Amino acid sequence: MSESFRIDTMRPLPASSSMNEEAVERYENEFKQHATKWQEILERNNERMKKGSYSLHWMNTDNAKWGRRAKPSSRGLTYTDINNVPGYGAIPARATCLNFAPRGSVRDEYASEMPVVDDYTLVDRDESWADNVITLYEEAKARQWNATRDIPWSELERLPDDLEKATCQLATFLTEVEFVAGDFPAKWLYKIPQDFLEVKSFIVTQMMDEARHQEVFRKRAIAGGGLLHASPGFEWALKAIYDAPTHTMGTFLLNLLGEGLVLSIFRSGEMIAKTHVDKEIFRRCLQDEARHVSYGVLELKNYLDHAPDHEKALEEMHRFADVGEQVILTSFSEAALAEPIAILLGGGLDKIDQGMEGQGKLWSMSVEEYLQRCDRAGFPRRERCTIPLEMPWACS
Amino acid sequence: MGVQLMEDTEVAARDAIAFPSVEWFERLAQLMKLNRARNEHLGYIDCVAVFTVLDGGLRGKPWSVQVTFEEFEATDVREATTADLARADFTLDATMATWREMIESIARGHGRPDLTHTLNYLSHTGAPIRVWSDDPLRKDMFFRFNQSLQEFINASGNFSTIFPD
Repeated sequence: MSESFRIDTMRPLPASSSMNEEAVERYENEFKQHATKWQEILERNNERMKKGSYSLHWMNTDNAKWGRRAKPSSRGLTYTDINNVPGYGAIPARATCLNFAPRGSVRDEYASEMPVVDDYTLVDRDESWADNVITLYEEAKARQWNATRDIPWSELERLPDDLEKATCQLATFLTEVEFVAGDFPAKWLYKIPQDFLEVKSFIVTQMMDEARHQEVFRKRAIAGGGLLHASPGFEWALKAIYDAPTHTMGTFLLNLLGEGLVLSIFRSGEMIAKTHVDKEIFRRCLQDEARHVSYGVLELKNYLDHAPDHEKALEEMHRFADVGEQVILTSFSEAALAEPIAILLGGGLDKIDQGMEGQGKLWSMSVEEYLQRCDRAGFPRRERCTIPLEMPWACS
Repeated sequence: MGVQLMEDTEVAARDAIAFPSVEWFERLAQLMKLNRARNEHLGYIDCVAVFTVLDGGLRGKPWSVQVTFEEFEATDVREATTADLARADFTLDATMATWREMIESIARGHGRPDLTHTLNYLSHTGAPIRVWSDDPLRKDMFFRFNQSLQEFINASGNFSTIFPD
């Protein structure tokens, strides 16, 4: 400590103000505004409790679907099983109950006292519904796996330097891109009303899947040498998904196009894996990704099938896809993705040319699969697709 | 694995079976049932798959078997007729030589193929195994249940397979 330093020369720290003061004040004001509603409920409850009297109104089943018991199927009690019980399975075309009251409960008579969740804006079923969403939800739960335990990490072998770097770069890419498929659904999840609980449930499984993918590829890279390069091209593709103007558009770009291409990468990853550990990782991931793709296809189909102005909806989707495809292409043309795949496909840095040739075939297949999925969704994209059908690569 | 299951697996594994045959796939189905715990861990598999040996029938004609998977089991195995093919979610076509090479790789690996003989490896580029369906959504089931399908085939490592000369 310097000789000249003296405690009496120290300045006082600036007076601290709570970082959350404004937010807390807003919260207080909001609830004060609605005090007539919730305080009335509180007072009513207090009075009853002080009297020691019971309400037991909740035992009245006049307006309930009481007594129609759900029966489990062979695989347990699924959403389909409970939706088969009259009164519970009808999904409204438009959600009007914008609070947390469960679909099928006695709730209408309390509506005037209930709060409205302003964030529930995806009130039309066809902005998020897909006919396979219940099947996919049950399947997703049943096929969860654990990136810590289910991968035979102890069998991970050391690879030659070029192959290890290529594997770790591919894992870095996948670590970078996977969680947009968690963040994007999360951005919309809280906007979907409770009446579409099946969609909300499936979206949560997708987020869990993506957390696991991000985890498994991060682990693979760090166990094999380390994370390598992030890339601007990846980031723009992710931003294009994250910033999509509607849930359906974003789901098309993420699940149908993006995850469809990532599914191809996972399949390629399994094919070019140089260890059984990598094979198992890619096989597990591709299963999850295929579920997300299936949701994307039927979500878009449902949206287009029920659009009040079909032609306008199609044209808007095309406009969006014209941009979206190009931005996604930015990612898939990045050297930090195409080159490691080529090295793994070829079998080494010295065989990168052969690998690029092989990648050309995979490119065409992946684009064709994308177009087939668009056709299946009722979105004829062949004439307008902006992604080249052949990989734009000149063999040297 | 419990003692009873081990005994059952051994019984199931005792005899050599000819490939291609309905019996060969039935043995896989039987082993899948015996390994229920493993299949429950992997999760439901609900799809109808057709396996075609392009030159496995009489006079080198195609031979197909249809396997119906429900929950954790293969509930039905039958030689596929034209009518059955329409029920299939997806079909895997390959020559006898390709199937044989894959099965022999699984046998050598005691139930795990080497890196170049997994179902995905052999089918990803469309050859030597071609996975096809009229409906891309139904074809995607091959991917959705890939690990289960791989382990279904891997069970062939538990018994001997006889191939035609």
